[in-house]
Amino acid sequence: MQSEPRPPAISTDRLTKHYGPVRALEELTLDVNHGEIFGFLGPNGAGKSTLIRTLLGFLHPTAGSAQVLGLDIVADTVEVRRRTGYLPGGIALYDSLSGEAALDYLSDLQGAKPVRRDELCSGCQMPASVLRRKVRDYSRGMRQKIGVIQALQHDPELAILDEPTEGLDPLMQQAFYRLMEELRTAGRTIFFSSHVLSEVERICDRVAIIRAGHLMALQDVDELLARRKRHIQLRWRGAAPDLSGVPGLADVKVEGDRISATLLGEVAPFVRAVASPALVDLTIEPARLEDAFLEYYAEDEPAEQVRQ
Amino acid sequence: MNLRLLRQTLRWNRIRLLAVLVAAFGWGLLIPIVYSQFSEAFRDLVESGIIPENLMNFGSGSLFSLPGALTLGLQHPLAIAFFGIFAVGSTTGAIAGEREKGTLEVLLARPISRVTLYITLAVAILILLTLVMIALLGGQVAGIAIQGLTDELEVGAMPLVLANGLLLWGAFAAFGLAASVSFDRHAPALGLSMAFLLVNYFLEILGSLWTDVAWSQEYSLFHHFQPGEILEGNADPIDFLILGVAMLVPVVYALIVFPRRDLAAPA
Repeated sequence: MQSEPRPPAISTDRLTKHYGPVRALEELTLDVNHGEIFGFLGPNGAGKSTLIRTLLGFLHPTAGSAQVLGLDIVADTVEVRRRTGYLPGGIALYDSLSGEAALDYLSDLQGAKPVRRDELCSGCQMPASVLRRKVRDYSRGMRQKIGVIQALQHDPELAILDEPTEGLDPLMQQAFYRLMEELRTAGRTIFFSSHVLSEVERICDRVAIIRAGHLMALQDVDELLARRKRHIQLRWRGAAPDLSGVPGLADVKVEGDRISATLLGEVAPFVRAVASPALVDLTIEPARLEDAFLEYYAEDEPAEQVRQ
Repeated sequence: MNLRLLRQTLRWNRIRLLAVLVAAFGWGLLIPIVYSQFSEAFRDLVESGIIPENLMNFGSGSLFSLPGALTLGLQHPLAIAFFGIFAVGSTTGAIAGEREKGTLEVLLARPISRVTLYITLAVAILILLTLVMIALLGGQVAGIAIQGLTDELEVGAMPLVLANGLLLWGAFAAFGLAASVSFDRHAPALGLSMAFLLVNYFLEILGSLWTDVAWSQEYSLFHHFQPGEILEGNADPIDFLILGVAMLVPVVYALIVFPRRDLAAPA
């Protein structure tokens, strides 16, 4: 007997959100698969938080539709929130409560046991002594950690995190990345927005790039990187080699014994072409998501964008 | 309704509730004593012409009868402050205030519908107002008993006074919650609700002190809170009806508007 295919964790179909004349989201269509870490990239004001808030029922779509875990975001919004964990951007907590009381309160309201809390508190370095302190005494980073814990403590099928590493120190960011990878291993789905390209590149399986409410790209991170140009620098003894036949090589500049170029596509043909005793030094910079991102944002803005 | 949210909302109000309950009981206790001890002295003052008689009629109250004195105690600015703390302060802070602070975001990320949130908050406010009203009326009953004035009015009518008072303050609380669901910041919701309360109060007091504009009282919700009339056995169902409608209209408005509002990210 064949079971029915599982719907995507998140599926939007021409989802549109306008605030009066402001077009915050414009016919956004994307699917987020179960068990993947999905990065949602864009600068401030691109529409990242608008999409998240629409998925969770804080905003009502102007047009289009969306489903989260197979549930309609308008008709089943309460059930959507029961099965997800959400970290708002710049989270605010109840200052008069201790960290522990805040987590207990939010867990009770969630109606689910905080089965992952101990593990998360340990991973986020929030011992009991810290959790007993009032939230008002917490630093920004500590509040963010409580925010992450409250979003994930009930082990939701889907976590929606709005700029989760904001305010975390580098060590905690590393701990957060490990946590995300553990959740992925456990089959959970993570959808998170960010404008920190390095973290998206590091942990995401797929990435969507949004610009002024328009979806500009939706790809595997690996594919996206494979399509990016690598910067190459080499030092050569004697006459410069003939690199004209190397596929994808461009912008070749020769300055004395130094040669610089860009390479799009596979590296192997290039390496074969320069494999010679005359090669003194070779540097191939890894393709960076940042380049892809900047490429999408370097283009002129579409005329119909943002405001009419 | 969400019981956990209800418990927490009440818990967050517990300290100021305790303070208000003690103050309200004390104030209620004082009124029959003032009436018993000073009513005749005030009457002499009025009859001597030093104080204009109109000044002895404050709102729907009067110091020259026990029911009138009790009404005076319930319409005094001090009593308005006791109830206003919850009917205006707590209601406007409940949604607009939480929204401004950003905590509404965390709350609504839970599986709680906006209708459930509204109803839970409304019930919590109603419980707080009921407790304050019971404390104030309880103080008055205690004062009446201490002064041995129980034969001057029908104490058994107190539950009707309680109901009448709850409708009045329920109407202001419903207005406050309606303002709270309409704004993203606390200050406009608080300002509008406070203005609504003060305009109603002004119309009632103005009409009672200045006979030429006595008609203005009819336009005040306070004029339909008549504990004196109720205690004298003259309860008017129209007063209850008017206050009931005044409470219901903002409730319906809020239940329509709140679930349909966009809640953009807090600034």
